[in-house]
Amino acid sequence: MVISPSALKRFLIGKPIASSEDAHHRLSKKIALPVFASDAISSTAYATEEILIVFLSLAAVGMTAFDNLVPISILVVLLLAIVVSSYRQTIYAYPKGGGSYVVSRENLGRSPSLVAGASMLVDYILTVAVSVSAGVAAIVSAFENMLPYRVELCVGFIVLVTLANLRGIKESGALFAPPTYLYVVSLASLIIVGLYKVYFQDLGPIDHSDAYAQELLSGQKTLTIFFFLKAFSSGAVALTGIEAVADGVPAFEKPEAKNASKTLMWMAVILGTSFFGLSVLAQEIQPLKDHEGEIKITVLAQMAEQVYGGRNIFFYITQFATFGILILAANTAYADFPRLSSIIAKDNYLPRQLMNRGDRLVFSNGIIFLGVAAGMLVIAFGGIVNALIPLYAVGVFTGFTLSQFGMLVRHRKLKEPGWQLRAFFSGVGALTTFFVAGIVVVVKFTDGAWIPAVIIPTMMAIFLAVNRHYTRVRSFLQIEEGYIAPRRTHTVIVLVGSVNKGVLQAVKYAESLRPDRLLALSVVGSPEEKMKLGDDWAKYGMTAELETLTDDFRNLTDTILMHINRIDDEDSDDIITVVIPEFVTAIRSQWLHNQSALAIKARLLYRKNTVVTSVPIVIE
Amino acid sequence: MGIRSFGKRLTADNLEIDSERLCERFKEYDFVNIADSQSRTRTKLAGEIKRMRIKPRSGIPAVELVINDGTGEATVIFSGRRNIPGVDHGKCIMVDGVPHRDGGRVVILNPAYTLLG
Repeated sequence: MVISPSALKRFLIGKPIASSEDAHHRLSKKIALPVFASDAISSTAYATEEILIVFLSLAAVGMTAFDNLVPISILVVLLLAIVVSSYRQTIYAYPKGGGSYVVSRENLGRSPSLVAGASMLVDYILTVAVSVSAGVAAIVSAFENMLPYRVELCVGFIVLVTLANLRGIKESGALFAPPTYLYVVSLASLIIVGLYKVYFQDLGPIDHSDAYAQELLSGQKTLTIFFFLKAFSSGAVALTGIEAVADGVPAFEKPEAKNASKTLMWMAVILGTSFFGLSVLAQEIQPLKDHEGEIKITVLAQMAEQVYGGRNIFFYITQFATFGILILAANTAYADFPRLSSIIAKDNYLPRQLMNRGDRLVFSNGIIFLGVAAGMLVIAFGGIVNALIPLYAVGVFTGFTLSQFGMLVRHRKLKEPGWQLRAFFSGVGALTTFFVAGIVVVVKFTDGAWIPAVIIPTMMAIFLAVNRHYTRVRSFLQIEEGYIAPRRTHTVIVLVGSVNKGVLQAVKYAESLRPDRLLALSVVGSPEEKMKLGDDWAKYGMTAELETLTDDFRNLTDTILMHINRIDDEDSDDIITVVIPEFVTAIRSQWLHNQSALAIKARLLYRKNTVVTSVPIVIE
Repeated sequence: MGIRSFGKRLTADNLEIDSERLCERFKEYDFVNIADSQSRTRTKLAGEIKRMRIKPRSGIPAVELVINDGTGEATVIFSGRRNIPGVDHGKCIMVDGVPHRDGGRVVILNPAYTLLG
């Protein structure tokens, strides 16, 4: 049995779902929290580690690193509080979902909204790449013999998540809730047990006796403001993903805005405390991580090993929970990227194909694009989280800035009661996040922050070009006042090889078009061929004029096209139908026929005022 | 051959190459160029047969030839015939008749003809 492509697709994707089955179910707060928060909360799995890498490996400040961990995390938590308080207002202002793109489109105009859209799209791709890489890092920390297959594992998981999304798992709470809550619980237990052991049972730092650890800790440089800011901008990736709640307000149970706002607060509390708690714990336990990737085990895994006293069941639960939530975080981007790209496509800034929904009612093209882009990123950066982080966060903070600046403009415009205070919050938020975005670009420019700084403007240029095209097409197709489609002279040309049953059918068909002029065109190889053709033409009583010509330069396609051009020139403002009799046989023998017909069709496809018609002669 | 004309040869399409070839071929004869032919004046024109058309009209066939001498094309119509021995694609023919213009075309009806080979 031969497996057809459609059968393979059915196997991978599942059977199609009718449009009418697009049930829109609402999420309760308990379910919404894991659905929308997994992205944000999951960043705690790598944010602390990224700060440590900057201090230990790049700044080489040695033991001082651990003293600066907590101040940085306080700054990040403060930033989180500012952004969240601003996003609460967005939730109330846009109960239909107010992503950065929508908010800036409504309040700031076209260019800012495109910047926001491009930033967010770039960031969703990075969310997938970073989350999957970090998730795989958690797995390879637990099973070190899988280390050499890091990239393969990353790509494999991206393929799996892409397929799962093409099947349309959507934001099903049953799937999301357990890993997210498991991660929150395992983090809480790690922090509580860890701090208890540190303060009451004298659990000391990790053993730093090996040579590489000594070398890392031997750094004696003083911490410059540059590296402090760099560490801060690495820590700020903890904020990625908190815009998800504001995007998804319509998915909440009624009252949507109130529930969404509460969920946002809970998410912020969990994110803030666990990030802060992990930083305090890291200060005491002193896990190490470097820039070059000499130390393969994640900071989280090092801490879990130390706190739980070895690689026991608790250690493995922590690792698997980390992996689980990171894959879910990647999955969140699979919901957001196609949705945002479809909104942008609806506004005519991206190809309309991104609005197409596939068999399973999901935006298939967006999902596939996201999967491919994230997969290429992971391969290009070797699945190393640390290498991807500088690219990350630029987009998120650009999005934050525009969204909050949009809110500020909105407050000033609407002047609702008490708007001054809210505008103040939005203004502070916009300013702070703008400042952070600036820091990220400046301090990490050479590390890779230049990539989004180049890609985002490029994407904007693409958006504008796509839009220009669609606008041009629309204005061209616009029906002006009093427009009547013109009656054109109709010339039908039948391409004839030799006189056979198929050609007789094709000529009969051509006559049924009632053309103003009917012409059979034949390229002959020899006088005998021409004679035979002329005789057959008379024999079967054909009344159409038969024009024969030779192919002087043995280029059939060009010759025929040249003569079609000539016939076209004989009448101005006419329309030409080229009728091509084509044999249709089984696929395995199809290639024996119609090679020249195919070439002619391909060349005529884009000719002005030309209709190409195939008359299929099915050979049974 | 200069570089320019060499470049031109590379970019010229087959039609131009063919025109040059035909001009060369008909230089030896002393006929009127098709492009210079006068309407309603008895003229001798020559050219290579590029296309042939059989046009059945209410049962009476006609053969139309399109000849080209490199300067232009002329349509030669022989009514009442389906086939003329010796007249084939790529052959050269000299026609002696009265051309007239029909649209953009130079048309000669039932001329005397000589096959040039």
